[in-house]
Amino acid sequence: MNPFIAWLSQLSSFASTPAAWGIFLTGAGIYLIHEWRVRFLILVTQYFLIGILFARVFDTRPEMALLKILVGWLVCGAFLISAHVRGRTRGQADSRFHWSSNLPFRILSLTVMTVVAYLASQRYPLPFVSADLALACFILIVLAVLFIGTEENDPLVMGVGILNLLAALDIFYSSQDPGLLVTGLLVMVNLLIGLAASYLTVVEVAE
Amino acid sequence: MTIPGPVILIGVPLAVAAVLQILLRRWTLLMALLAALTALFCGLLVSFTPLRDIVPSGTFQIAMEQPLNVLGRVLVIEPVDRLPLTFIFGTAAVLFVIAWRLLPHSNFFPAGLAMVAMLAGALMVKQVVYTALLVEIAAILAVFPLHEPIGAHYGRRAKGGARYIAYVTLALPGLMVTQLLLELFAIFPNDTALLQAATVLLGLSFAILLGAVPFQAWLSTVATDGSPPVVTFLFTVNLGTVWFMLLAYLESYPWLGAQASFKSLFTTVGLLMMIIGGSLAASQRRLGRLVGYATLVDNGAMFVALGTWQISGVALAVMMLLARPLALGLMTMGLDGLRRLGSGDDTIETLEGAAWRAPWRTIAFIVGGIAMAGFPLSLGFAARWGLYRIVSAASVFQAVLALAGCAGVMMGVIGMLRVLLMPLPKSASQRRQKEDWVVLILIVLLIGATVLLGIFPQSVSQIVLEMAEGFTFFTS
Repeated sequence: MNPFIAWLSQLSSFASTPAAWGIFLTGAGIYLIHEWRVRFLILVTQYFLIGILFARVFDTRPEMALLKILVGWLVCGAFLISAHVRGRTRGQADSRFHWSSNLPFRILSLTVMTVVAYLASQRYPLPFVSADLALACFILIVLAVLFIGTEENDPLVMGVGILNLLAALDIFYSSQDPGLLVTGLLVMVNLLIGLAASYLTVVEVAE
Repeated sequence: MTIPGPVILIGVPLAVAAVLQILLRRWTLLMALLAALTALFCGLLVSFTPLRDIVPSGTFQIAMEQPLNVLGRVLVIEPVDRLPLTFIFGTAAVLFVIAWRLLPHSNFFPAGLAMVAMLAGALMVKQVVYTALLVEIAAILAVFPLHEPIGAHYGRRAKGGARYIAYVTLALPGLMVTQLLLELFAIFPNDTALLQAATVLLGLSFAILLGAVPFQAWLSTVATDGSPPVVTFLFTVNLGTVWFMLLAYLESYPWLGAQASFKSLFTTVGLLMMIIGGSLAASQRRLGRLVGYATLVDNGAMFVALGTWQISGVALAVMMLLARPLALGLMTMGLDGLRRLGSGDDTIETLEGAAWRAPWRTIAFIVGGIAMAGFPLSLGFAARWGLYRIVSAASVFQAVLALAGCAGVMMGVIGMLRVLLMPLPKSASQRRQKEDWVVLILIVLLIGATVLLGIFPQSVSQIVLEMAEGFTFFTS
């Protein structure tokens, strides 16, 4: 077995709950920080954490988790390039670190939604999924709702939201039916959404 | 060697799409011709070949009824799939011809073929989860031509495409989890709570996919921001597939149709869509949005027709769906030309007096609008008239509400016509738009077909009645 896959598999056996909260922190980072190079690094981390959870789902085939991570990182790369093109076209040469606008509102909505996700995972346990995976699913859904609901004018962040929703669905569904065909189709959907979000970002500014 | 029918219906469009995308993007005529011929070939093959026959094709033989097995998942053409498959391939072929002059060098042709292949797969595969994923892939593919920057006349606001993907993805969990619940129900057949949960999830997912109230926001945004021919493709081929999926599920899963609340739910949701869509259409100040809200009303009318829970209701719903490509095709060609006048802007302030500069595009938009509103002379009118008659037999009030929704769209169309016929502002260019003769011929052909089918709707009504007789879910 590939050493990285073996390490990922070992890591997933004890780090699933921290990975779930790590996903929340990375999501919060993307939501609160308005600088795509930082967001890119955070998103890469988020996909690694999602990969840890997938290693638990695909415990007999951890290479599938690696596939999910690689696909996620490919999408991250596409997002970074699109954000760079957008920034250059709009003449935003200044790419210093800065927080997103409406920061207090964002912090408040993030806090409220996190509480909702935590309480939902306690009160409505998902069938056939362990508690840590269920928590991760709820956190990903909440992040998706935040991104899709409040960042509609930014196709990239919206794309991240859609991918988060798909990741939650993928974790939940693959826990019951880890079939190759569904996994393959979901990988394809992930890649296409990444491409579409990047395309929309570039098209929007190409005036 | 025998090739299963599904391989042809999915493989041929995908192969041609790859060739178009890689080799032929420079030649629009060739792309349009190949795309239209491919779609037409698939449509004719599925429509006229008896399913049990084996079609000889050189060294190969095509067995239409033979299932295709992909990793244990089966794709098969059943008799009930023939009209839906013919509809999506036929509509795609017509739209490729329309797009020939409207979208030069566009990726609409390869993307459209790939989409129609995915949607055909969605209709032929029998598990909900794969259907859902194939519809999702088709939706994502639609975004590329929807916001393709062609010339200066198409807006590049990407909100429509992003919102469309978001909504279709929101519908995905419901459909996928339904599959899990159905598998669980097969193990625990006494647990009816599983079926109730599946019903709710399936209903919610279809409401999102069909733009039912309160999930209608994507319809108007897509219509406003997107390229008109691609919007028409989405509203006819993609939405048509979802409608046929809904009918197929109601038929395949008797427990779904047996839910007592469905009948009133369909009627209520449908009437809400018609009233809200009609009100919004009547007060619209943008042509694109009018197209979106007219589609919302049309979808609402289809829900009301299904809510009658009668064979004629199903026939009317399918008839409305068959009438839509003609009406929306006309609106598309009108909208395209009028947007060109406004350099991508389709607000009424920009288009005052546009009828004097682009008379044929104005006629196309108005005739298409009248047909979408379900007013004479159009196939839509025959379907809506039948709907009012069936609904009024149960409740006159509901029939009046349905009529009011359609009247709202008609008021929107008349409002637009009034603006388009205003005297040209002095500051505006007085020069008449040079009309492409191919577009002109297409407009005349579509208007002719709309009026002809409006006068003689029997040919279509016979086909849809025969198809509707295959559905028995409302008798349970």
